[in-house]
Amino acid sequence: MHEKREMNDRPRNGAGDAPPPDKISLLSAALALPGLAATLLSTVAATLPALLSSAAQAEEPPDHSAIDLKYLYYHDYQPGEGRMRISAPSFHLLAPFADRWSVETAIVVDAISGASPLFHDTLSGASGLGVNDLRKAGDVKLTRYFDRGAVGMQFAYSTEHDYVSRALSVDARLSTPDNNTTFTAGAGHAEDDIDSVNLVARGQHKRTTDLLAGVTQVLTPNDIIQSNLTYSIGHGYYSDPYKAIDVRPDHRDQFAWLTRWNHYVDAVDGTLRLSARYYHDTFGIRALALLTEWVQPVASWTITPSLRYYTQGASDFYRDPPFPQGFRIGEPYSADQRLSAFGAITAGVKLAKSFAGGWRADFKAEYYEQRNDWHHLFGSDSKPLKPFKAQFYQVGLGKDF
Amino acid sequence: MRLAKPTCLVITLALSLLSGCAAVPAWEKGNLAKPSMTFNGDPLDERFTQHIYTSKENASGGYGVGGGGCGCN
Amino acid sequence: MASPAEVRIDAASEGAAQHAFGAIQREVERIETKYSRYRPDSVLSDINRNAGGDPVALDEETAALLDYAAACWSQSGGLFDITSGVLRSVWDFKRNRPPRPEEVDAVLARIGWQRVRRGARSSASPASIALEAGMEIDFGGIGKEYAADRAMAAAVDAGIRHGFVNLGGDIRVIGPQADGRPWRIGIVHPRDPERTIAHLELGEGGLATSGDYERFFEFEGRRYCHLLNPRTGWPVDGPQSVSVVAPLCTVAGSCATIAMLHGDGADAYLREQGFAYLLIDRDGKILQESLPR
Repeated sequence: MHEKREMNDRPRNGAGDAPPPDKISLLSAALALPGLAATLLSTVAATLPALLSSAAQAEEPPDHSAIDLKYLYYHDYQPGEGRMRISAPSFHLLAPFADRWSVETAIVVDAISGASPLFHDTLSGASGLGVNDLRKAGDVKLTRYFDRGAVGMQFAYSTEHDYVSRALSVDARLSTPDNNTTFTAGAGHAEDDIDSVNLVARGQHKRTTDLLAGVTQVLTPNDIIQSNLTYSIGHGYYSDPYKAIDVRPDHRDQFAWLTRWNHYVDAVDGTLRLSARYYHDTFGIRALALLTEWVQPVASWTITPSLRYYTQGASDFYRDPPFPQGFRIGEPYSADQRLSAFGAITAGVKLAKSFAGGWRADFKAEYYEQRNDWHHLFGSDSKPLKPFKAQFYQVGLGKDF
Repeated sequence: MRLAKPTCLVITLALSLLSGCAAVPAWEKGNLAKPSMTFNGDPLDERFTQHIYTSKENASGGYGVGGGGCGCN
Repeated sequence: MASPAEVRIDAASEGAAQHAFGAIQREVERIETKYSRYRPDSVLSDINRNAGGDPVALDEETAALLDYAAACWSQSGGLFDITSGVLRSVWDFKRNRPPRPEEVDAVLARIGWQRVRRGARSSASPASIALEAGMEIDFGGIGKEYAADRAMAAAVDAGIRHGFVNLGGDIRVIGPQADGRPWRIGIVHPRDPERTIAHLELGEGGLATSGDYERFFEFEGRRYCHLLNPRTGWPVDGPQSVSVVAPLCTVAGSCATIAMLHGDGADAYLREQGFAYLLIDRDGKILQESLPR
């Protein structure tokens, strides 16, 4: 790549006059310049290494506030039967304040209409009531930032006419001095009250405690990886009161292991995002979710196609319909499709654009399909049920301040 | 890409500390600060999507704590 | 010295800030006027005009700057030479083609700090300097950096404790941000001026960057940049850019320039100096001296 540069090698003006390099210090020479010595703090000698801080960035609150409005629309169906529609306008605000704090709040109103998936024709009459519900949920989170970490506390409240949930959680993160490794830990507790419309569940209660431990690691200037373990311990009412016979255990412990990797590709300014989550719970369900996304900026637009594959094994107490012979009262049982073995694929694309003045807009469309024969890996196949399909869309507008 | 990267990935997945991997100094972190490279994402998008999957699929978790429950039927 | 200047200060009041800005501006203009090549009435022009003639008497500041230039020449083994400015007459970076070797050789005869005669200051007479006929000096590589340090001193005298002075990329920090956090400074990507290639955080001290992209042209697949070796008369060939952090911007600037003049020996030179530095080599790879963890 570099040919011999003869011209640079030939000193031509009396090279014999060039002095051997002197070991004098430029700094001591410069201190003789008028007025400069006085500008050095007495501590400079001791702090010379600190001039180039190895603590890359202090943990900082966001440097601007942001407000987002989003409208979400969800529609699912099984062949021949339109099922559930959800319309959910939502609001989100994030604002730094008092130099080392930030507050974040979100409010979502889900208007749910339609029926939930049913697999027993025997029950179609009872659920003919359909589901028409309004769920309002809000949460507030306060975060305090420190030099290499942050601590946050969040309160969440959600209410629909048959279910009220209140949750409080705390999370903390701490980074190593070089900021390449961040440890995260969190704990939360939720108390839910259930009073079903059909009075099957009255004054029921569920309480859940969640724990999280995670690590985020910078691997290269273009790679960052995160891995989190969560464990949730729950007691209370888990059955579905709207299914004719649905008796689930009164406790559920859940374990999840999520690993995500973001990889930046300089040549096209694009980012590859991969994630894998393994799940296992005391209902006997094992599941794996794999997601891949490609984020591609093009001028002021960003286009993000995504593909997700999910597979789950059936719960221990799931039985294919029809109602099984030899069922013993007191055993847990459910024919809820969501507890069966199936695989699902989501294909989506998101388009985002940023405008002058900190305005942003985005649109996302996703298509989702669940099928028994797409299930791989865990447990045995369930009896094929009608494939379940859904579409969801989001359209959002936001502004940074 | 350095050849050490796949090895590093395996070690990460086993959840051990990675001080052995080449440490990235502050001035090389420009790309890591891009929004697409963070794990935060779009808050409303993530909430909505996780909520749908939790209710239609029965597996959940891994992302964070808190958020409460719902009678997602 | 026509390059963009940026000054950021956090002051207790608008009035204090205005007062400090005024002091900084006056000091920078003073130095620029005094050492400008383009002003016939500058001290520099006076020295150059008298080349081949009688020694020129020097004020303290100019004598000190020339002493510093001598130290740089010594320390760099003759690579940093303030008499090498005459090469400008054959290297025209707007012409986009290299000069003929004979043209360069003709100019080389007029270069060489060892030929400058300087008189030391004594009780009887001020310091003095005499150039041989045809020679010229200029403070490129020292002047702007010195002005940054002097501007910082002016700000401190005006009561400012938080801020920085940035004269065309040569930076001297007055003090960290008001809340104690350092300033976040980006290093320009040597091959893409719209991007930064690195960031660092500075709460005190000086930072200067020297690169092969400030003034250059490419001819037949080779890059010719404005950093010229005074002994061969041809541009150096080595790292794309060197940034140095030192207590004084003057030192950071000379150190970075001398490093670039060392070509592929830049890394070895910088390691010897002991300052924190960032070097982007000829292939664009980043080498940096990190601190003990």
